[in-house]
Amino acid sequence: MEGSLNVIGYGISVIGAGIGVGIVFGMGMQAIARQPEARGPLQTNIYIGFALIEALALLGFVLAFAI
Amino acid sequence: MSADTLNLAAEGGGGLFTPGGPGFEAPSVGIFFPSPWVDYDIPMTSGITKYAVLLAVASGLALLFLWWTSRKQSLVPNRSQSIGEIFFLFIREQISRPMMGVKGDKYLPLLISLFIFVFAMNIMGIIPFLQLPVTSNLSYPVGIALVVYVTFIVVGIRSQGGVGKYLKGAVVPSGAPGWILPLLVPIEIISNFLIRPATHAIRVFATMFAGHLLLATFAAAGWYMFNPAAGPLFGTISVLFSGASLLAFVVFTAFELVIMFLQAFVFTLLAALYIGQAQEAH
Repeated sequence: MEGSLNVIGYGISVIGAGIGVGIVFGMGMQAIARQPEARGPLQTNIYIGFALIEALALLGFVLAFAI
Repeated sequence: MSADTLNLAAEGGGGLFTPGGPGFEAPSVGIFFPSPWVDYDIPMTSGITKYAVLLAVASGLALLFLWWTSRKQSLVPNRSQSIGEIFFLFIREQISRPMMGVKGDKYLPLLISLFIFVFAMNIMGIIPFLQLPVTSNLSYPVGIALVVYVTFIVVGIRSQGGVGKYLKGAVVPSGAPGWILPLLVPIEIISNFLIRPATHAIRVFATMFAGHLLLATFAAAGWYMFNPAAGPLFGTISVLFSGASLLAFVVFTAFELVIMFLQAFVFTLLAALYIGQAQEAH
C-alpha cells in the first residue's frame, strides 16, 4: 500500500474539531430552544464559534498536504 | 475496501471488470493546477489558466446581479429590486448589525461586495462545464483576505486615533496583571495579526478544495465503473455501482451548494467581526 502518514494524522486530529463543532451546534440549538426570541444573536455567535473551531481542522488539512 | 479488492478491481479495470484494463486512478491535487492557455513567461505568474477565465466569469456574474437588482430604483420596489432589497437586508440584519451595530452601516457596501464576490467564485464549482471553484486556488482568497486585513487595520488606526493606541488596544488585553503580559502580548500579536488573516483565507480555500476533490472523485469513479459491455451479470453490477456513484455526486453537489453559501456567509461575518473589533475602543 502506498500513501502518506499525514492523512492518518489528519484523520485523528480532525476528531477534536468534529467534537468541537458538534458541541457548538448542539449547545446552540439548546440555547435557541430555551429562548427562541434570542435566535438572532445566538445564531451569529454559533457561526463565529463554528468558524473558529473549523479553522483548526482546516489548518490540519492544509498542513497534511503541505508537509 | 481492502487492498485485495482494490487490486482486483484495478486488474479488472478499463471500466470495471475488463480484464487487463487500466486501474482506477483517483483525481489528484493536480486538477487544481491546470496548464495555462496563454503563458507569458513572467516569473511568479501562472499565465492565463482556467482560474483566470472563471474569475472573470464570476466577477461578471456578481456585477450582473448587482446591476439587475439596482437598475430602475423606485420607492415601491419592482420584482428585481425586491430581490436586491432582501439580499441587502439579509447582510445588514444577519451580519452587519449584530457585529458592528448602527455605526457599521457605512461598511455595508464592502460587506455586500465581499459576500457576493466570494459566493460567485465558490459557485463556479457546481455550474456545469465550468466546475472549478475559483476559491480552490489559495491566491484568490488570500487576495480578498488581504483587502479585509488592510481595511480593519486602517479602520482601527483611524477610529482609535493613532497607530500606538490601536496597537496597544489590539495586543494588550485590558485588566490583565502586569506579570503575565510578556506571555500574553506575543500570543495576541500572533493570533491577531498572523493567524487571523491566514485562517480567514485558508478557511474558504480548504473547504472548496476538499469539496471539489470529493466531487471529482465521485465523478471519476462513476465513469470508471460504467462498463455495460462486461457481460450480463458484471455489466449490470457495474451499471448499478456507477448509478450509486452518480447519485452520490448529485447529493454532494446539493450539499456543496449549501457549503458554498455558508462559507461566503462566514467569510463576510468574520470580516465584519474584525472591522467591528477594530472600530470599538478596547
